Formats: sequence, structure tokens, C-alpha cells
Amino acid sequence: MVCGNMAGLELLSDQGYRLDGRKASELRKVQARMGVFAQADGSAYLEQGNTKALAVVYGPHEIRGSRSWIRHDRAVINCQYSMATFSTAERKRRPHGDRKSTEMSLHLKQTFEAAVMTQLYPRSQIDIYVKILQSDGGNYSVCVNAATLAVIDAGIPMRDYVCACSVGFVDETPLADLCYAEESGGVSSLALALLPRGGQIALLQMDARLHQDHLDALIEAAMTACKGVGKVLDEVVRLHLKEVSVLTGE
Amino acid sequence: MPPMKLCVPGDKLCSVENCIPGTGVFLRHGYIYSSLAGYVLKKNEGEELPVISVVRETETQLLPDVGAIVTCKVTSINPRFAKVHILYVGSTPLKDRFRGTIRKEDVRATEKDKVETYKSFRPGDIVLAKVISLGDVQSNYLLTTAENELGVVVAHNEAGAQMVPISWCEMQCPRTHIKEFRKVARVQPEFLQA
Repeated sequence: MVCGNMAGLELLSDQGYRLDGRKASELRKVQARMGVFAQADGSAYLEQGNTKALAVVYGPHEIRGSRSWIRHDRAVINCQYSMATFSTAERKRRPHGDRKSTEMSLHLKQTFEAAVMTQLYPRSQIDIYVKILQSDGGNYSVCVNAATLAVIDAGIPMRDYVCACSVGFVDETPLADLCYAEESGGVSSLALALLPRGGQIALLQMDARLHQDHLDALIEAAMTACKGVGKVLDEVVRLHLKEVSVLTGE
Repeated sequence: MPPMKLCVPGDKLCSVENCIPGTGVFLRHGYIYSSLAGYVLKKNEGEELPVISVVRETETQLLPDVGAIVTCKVTSINPRFAKVHILYVGSTPLKDRFRGTIRKEDVRATEKDKVETYKSFRPGDIVLAKVISLGDVQSNYLLTTAENELGVVVAHNEAGAQMVPISWCEMQCPRTHIKEFRKVARVQPEFLQA
């Protein structure tokens, strides 16, 4: 039986355990807090395993800077993704402005334009800034999850949560929520952002090679994983609401 | 009072046959869903169906809408228009200032072509205006003061003292008795504090 391996590491052992002891469809531990900054309109901190991200939302406010991207019928969402210089094993030379960050910012923008009800705020701008504090795989997914909580904290109307998760395909088995060692181990990975209640896909990203017969199984596994993340985010939001209402004496 | 129900974005609240959608909710396929994380509020207004809305403790940012009365501060004037910063929408302060424009022809309802902006507003005046348009790509919010209740409410004269309105087009300083021209708002008596 051939295991997908790189330098002798077994990504999926014979008993079905992964490098960090998880089963194939098990997600990493998700911990999150909303409202971490008082000065921003909305903010959230989210950890998924060892990947930690901070998301901050400002808006909706008047469009500043260039007037060329004013939309008369809806709000413009401006996303910026950046990684802290200390987030990776080797000190990151260029935290933002490089091609990967620009691409990630664009993906985040597309994801949130699908979920946020932008037509309620014509001619205005919503800023979403996400910073990765520690990177251990699944950067895009953690960003989307953190940004969802921050947008909810800011009180911007959304159709539904946006939950994201990455999945990989090893030994005919889909692995949910990849860590860095698995991602760099040559696994065909796919990142999916989902609106869990309607089952609608906001963004699907894949840049590896995968046989088309395996695609359906992989997408199914991704959707299940996203719904699992969605349940955790739901609990965090409800807990935060209860805490805030206790403080305001409602 | 029974505890209010918590809801999150995407929660199905009720069918459109039982309630009318209010703020913080949206309609989809005949059902009302929540779009905010907050508490569900059902208000009964007369014999019609109750209005259902979702409220948060902190009010979300309000945007000036067409027809809204806004309080703004004049930043610069020009023979053709006056530029303002919108500070309040109704009685809600805005966290961020929006920019607006009052064109020369929107200052008054009568004798629009004889208006001189220098005699209607000065920089630093607080003005009550109404939004007539959200504007297009190039322009800001378009405002009008062409009503009796709209116009300058607080103004300072060139010496810096606050002036008292004496007519719809003049204000006077109580110390030096110098009159200056402004387009004055006739504030309703119930809004004036003793």
C-alpha cells in the first residue's frame, strides 16, 4: 500500500491517523473571540489549530481616495490580506504587496461580495483587513472565518455566515483542514468557502492536479467540513451576543 | 418581560404571511430571514400584520438617504455651490463625515437665479438641509435648503460671536449689532430649548 509521503512522513497512516493525530475528516480546534478592538467598527480573532488570524472591519463609510470605483447601487468591499513577518518559520520578507497577498485579497473580496448585502449601502465602502499572525496551513480559510465574525461584529447585514475550509486528497481519502506540513507535502488541495444554510458555494479555489472522478467526493468532504466550522462560529456569535447583552443590562 | 430571542445572519424567522419585514431582515422565497446578529423585535402596529426586525445594542452606521433631513457644517463656498460635511442624519450622529454639495439653485425656493452663496452661507455655519440625490460618480450627496425650515441654524460672525436670527435672510450679532446675510432656517418652536 503506497502512502503519500515526502521525506518519509506519512500523511495518512495505516490506522487512519494523520501527522498530528487527527482522523481524516477531523477539523482542528477552532477558538474565536469577537470585538477584540474597540476603535474599529468590527473585529475578531480566530485560531484554527496553530493558524491564527486577526480580522478588522471598518464601514460602511464614504469612499475615500479614488472616486473611480464608486458604485451607485451598492457598496464596494475593499479587502487587504497581509501576513505578519513573524508568522512563518523563516521571517517573511514582504508581508504585503506580493503576488500571493494580492491574489488572496481579491479572493476575499469576491467571497464577501457574495454574502454581504451591499445593495443596502450605495456609494459607500466597507474595508476588511485580515492579518495572519501565525501561519500553519489553511490561511485562506482562517481569514474567511475570522472576517465573517468581524463583519457580524460590525453589524453589517449578511445573507448567512461564510465558512471556509481546505481539503486535500491522499490515498483516495479526503483530508479535512490541512496543516502546513500536509499542504506542502504535495497534496492536491482545494479551498472552499460556503454559505452553510443554503449550501451555496461562495468561492472554490484549487491549483493542483486532481482526477475529475475524485472531485465530487472532495467537494462533499469540503462542504461537510465547512458546515462543521459553521456550527462553531454560530456558537461563538451567540455566546458573544449573550455576553454583550449582560453588560448592557438587557 | 419574556427574554428576547437571539438570532444570527441566515436564521429563518417566519413566513411573510405572518409578519411584515422591518430592518435587519431580508426576504427570500416567501420567508423572512435575519441579516444581523442581534435580537428579534416584533412590533404590533394597528390591525395590520406585526413588523418584525432585528436590533443590535449598538446602532449600525446610518447612511443619508433621499429625503432625509441632515445637519451639516459648511466647509467652503463658491459662487456656484457650497460644500458641506454631513454630521448628523436626523438625530443620529455619524461616526464618519460624508461630503455634500448645496448648489446655488437649491438654496432657496424663490428667485433662484439671484442667489449669492456669499450671502446665504459662510464656512463654519451649521445648516439643516434635505438630501435630494445620492449623486452620480463625480459628485457628492446633493442637498437642498429650499424650504422655510431648512437653512442656517448656528452661525458666527466675522468677529467670532454667535449671531441671532432676525429674519429669513439676516442674522445679527448681539454685541456689535452688525447684521450679516444668511439663509436662515425657521426652526419649529418645539425643537428650541429654553
